[in-house]
Amino acid sequence: MAERLSRDLIALRVAAELRRGQVVNLGIGLPTLVANYVSRDRGITLHSENGVLGYGPHASDETQDPDLINARGEHTTLLPGGAVISHNDAFGIVRGGRLDVAVLGALQVSEKGGLANWLVPEKGLGSPGGALDMAAGAKRLIVITEHTNGGAPKILKECTYPLTVAHRVNLIVTDLAVMEVTPEGLVLKEIAPGWLVEAVRELTEATLIVSADLKEMDFGFPKEPPVEKVCSSAAEAVADVFDGAVILMDGFGGLGGMAHYLMLALRDQGAKELTVVGNTVGIARVSAFGAPPSPDLQAIDHSILVETGQIRRAIASFPVSPSPSRPSAFEGAYRRGEVEMELVPQGTLAERLRAGGYGVAAFYTPTGVGTVVAEGKEVREFNGREYLLERAIRGDFAFVRAHKADTLGNLVYRGTSRNFNAVMATAADITIAEVDEIVEPGELDPEAIITPGLFVKRIVQRPPGFSPFQPIVKE
Amino acid sequence: MVKERLGRDIIAMRVAKELPEGAVVNLGIGIPTLVSNFVAEDKTVGYHSESGVLNYGSLAEESERDYDLINAGGQFLQWVPGMAFFGSEEAFAMIRGGHVDVTVLGALQVSERGGLANWMVPQRGVGNIGGAMDLAVGAKRVIIAMEHTDREDRPKLVKECSFPLTGRRCVSLVVTDLAVIEVAPEGLVLKEIAPDWTPEEVQSLTEPKLILAPDLKEVEL
Amino acid sequence: MKPGKVYPTALRAVEDVFDGAVVMLGGFGGPGLPQSLVKALIEQGARDLTFICNTCFEPKPDEHDVARLVDHGRVRKLITTFIGRPNQEMPALDLWRRGKIEIEMVPQGILAERMRAAATGLGGIFIPNGVGTVFEDGQEKRTFDGQEYILATPLKADFALIGAHQADPLGNLTYRLTQRNYNPTMAAAADVTIAEVRELVETGEIDPERVVTPGIYVDRLVVAERGI
Repeated sequence: MAERLSRDLIALRVAAELRRGQVVNLGIGLPTLVANYVSRDRGITLHSENGVLGYGPHASDETQDPDLINARGEHTTLLPGGAVISHNDAFGIVRGGRLDVAVLGALQVSEKGGLANWLVPEKGLGSPGGALDMAAGAKRLIVITEHTNGGAPKILKECTYPLTVAHRVNLIVTDLAVMEVTPEGLVLKEIAPGWLVEAVRELTEATLIVSADLKEMDFGFPKEPPVEKVCSSAAEAVADVFDGAVILMDGFGGLGGMAHYLMLALRDQGAKELTVVGNTVGIARVSAFGAPPSPDLQAIDHSILVETGQIRRAIASFPVSPSPSRPSAFEGAYRRGEVEMELVPQGTLAERLRAGGYGVAAFYTPTGVGTVVAEGKEVREFNGREYLLERAIRGDFAFVRAHKADTLGNLVYRGTSRNFNAVMATAADITIAEVDEIVEPGELDPEAIITPGLFVKRIVQRPPGFSPFQPIVKE
Repeated sequence: MVKERLGRDIIAMRVAKELPEGAVVNLGIGIPTLVSNFVAEDKTVGYHSESGVLNYGSLAEESERDYDLINAGGQFLQWVPGMAFFGSEEAFAMIRGGHVDVTVLGALQVSERGGLANWMVPQRGVGNIGGAMDLAVGAKRVIIAMEHTDREDRPKLVKECSFPLTGRRCVSLVVTDLAVIEVAPEGLVLKEIAPDWTPEEVQSLTEPKLILAPDLKEVEL
Repeated sequence: MKPGKVYPTALRAVEDVFDGAVVMLGGFGGPGLPQSLVKALIEQGARDLTFICNTCFEPKPDEHDVARLVDHGRVRKLITTFIGRPNQEMPALDLWRRGKIEIEMVPQGILAERMRAAATGLGGIFIPNGVGTVFEDGQEKRTFDGQEYILATPLKADFALIGAHQADPLGNLTYRLTQRNYNPTMAAAADVTIAEVRELVETGEIDPERVVTPGIYVDRLVVAERGI
């Protein structure tokens, strides 16, 4: 009988499944070995649930740092551009759909895509750890396992052990085969060298559908172009904003946290029927904190998009000027019935965005109970206190204003300009960061990174001498 | 003869007395902003702003304004030792999570049961909620600093708020230019009164019936 | 900011931990584990404690962690995510089988978010973690946009014992590398948060951009004992 693949070769085969730019979590045991085949130049970010992004090879005895471990408790290293985050954020990333691949080991895996890997029922108690969260949250779930356990099949029709996840496994890689879970059933795609289909079938309880193009296991890595996040201009960065898009923007209303360069580009690009989500809808022009250095200048804020009629709807907490005698462009448009508005308390807005970014569908908050904000919403009592049910918000785009970025998209902010920017960065499909300076990976301290690069799709640097003010055009 | 009311600074000074040693305090816009000017120098108070800063200091001079360092009212702050910056979700996590001891807010109306209306004048048709609703439910103690009556001398202390609510039953204490009034389970208790004013005069400018505190005294600074 | 956050010894800092208290313990592996505080708690003697922490393995002579407290019979209940791999036997498991200790196993992503819900004053949250597994048993479920979610409730504690790198007297904390893990979340989710740090620095020495746990969450500070 032909030999089974070594553990290293199984890991190598899984590594060949990974793609440039992906964020990948590796479970305990066999999955850990995959890291040995994810070289730095492949541009893959390894995620560890204790709070590391972009870890590298194991640390040697000489280089090990007692404060730097992965979720297996092994001493690891950080690659340039790696970031340290909290455990909670690590799971927020997973729940929020930012984890591209999870590679997990198995006690049992089923032809329907079920996985059991945390509890042997006879023991009575098992350790879920982070496995259930990874399995449920990853966009693609790869199981890496020996095909049998002491001769007994592990690839089953149904898992008999308590599930880690139901119907989520995409691919199973073993020491005998590569199998894909499809709606039709489990498809045998590749087979270990020297093995026949019948021999693999004998060691598999699940029904195997043999792929029309069944081949010998392929360990080749794909050739991939580098992922480029840096855009040459704001115009390039916003080119694909479509009519009707939901755009998250505006730090707090002040000039510091606003992506003025992107806003100007959006005005020139012309997308219409936009929904904007933010603390304000442009009050810098009519507020003391947006006061220009000279009377023939005015602050750049949402007003430039209101005046062009591009904004259809706003979700905001501070939408109008603090002073009734100096109404903003948005307030004028609202009074004329040209725009719609949903008014949200500031903390609820921040939390709804965080929920959108971190995969929380809805939450109960005490804010707004008994007020106009509660109209039409579920009110529920927990421990004698009333709460409102509020839903997550996500954007198609986020325009984020940060201080510095590295080319991987890691961001740091300055002072109170972090405010809504950091949470918005997590909550959009396409997050575009406008920064003062772009640096190389490794130049930002991994402990100081506030927004890890996995949230950021595009980066654009403000042109030298860019001003948040523009001349007032006299009519 | 029209009797003199307390000035905005005096109201702020009286509120400052309410801040306990070690408190984490959030100050709203208007009279509340002035409160920090009157906190005794030997008292340690940490200021929190929804803009995402803790332990901030004084307002910055015009010449040193930094767009990246503002309070929730958009005023520019100085860079001082001991600050911490954070995002909006964290700023409100602090508020809702019960980590802010006292908030001082302005008001359009306060009801006898502690209801607060401060975000919208109905005549304007639109208003800004901002962080007020979060502070109203999240801060451990809500103190209102305001004028006792509106511009047309109508009471701002009312039986029921007619303006849109910011929060129900959230106010603990009201400091006005005429009185210090506690919101108690049995109603509004007049605790302190401005010099030269009588309880009857204050009552005449207050819609709900005031309960006189047994130790009613002149406003103490 | 409460004055006098700095305590002279770990024992003084944990002196009021009462019998039956619910205690969160930071750390994921060694980094961020406040060992001086655990050691002090062993000495202090509180019993019937509930511990919320990532793991409980075997007690090690050179490490003061929850396993030591379990070993000393101080722990009535563990709320944790990991007590060894499926084929590993751990002392806590044996105690559980003999009914000496309660253990509630929670997936990490649920634990993290339940603590954050407490820290941020939410009444409950709908999260997808655990759907289709035993962790949905007995939980309220609801469908949003075609996907199922479980209602998770806040998890708070009387005390949080956390480990950090630097602190200033206001309680602002920084962590070094993976020391961070559960610590910022737990610091915000307990009534009393006690932080053990390697170094206490002057106010102003910590860059305000790099504060991870703002002092608002920290009640007591103690400098770690040498060698821990």
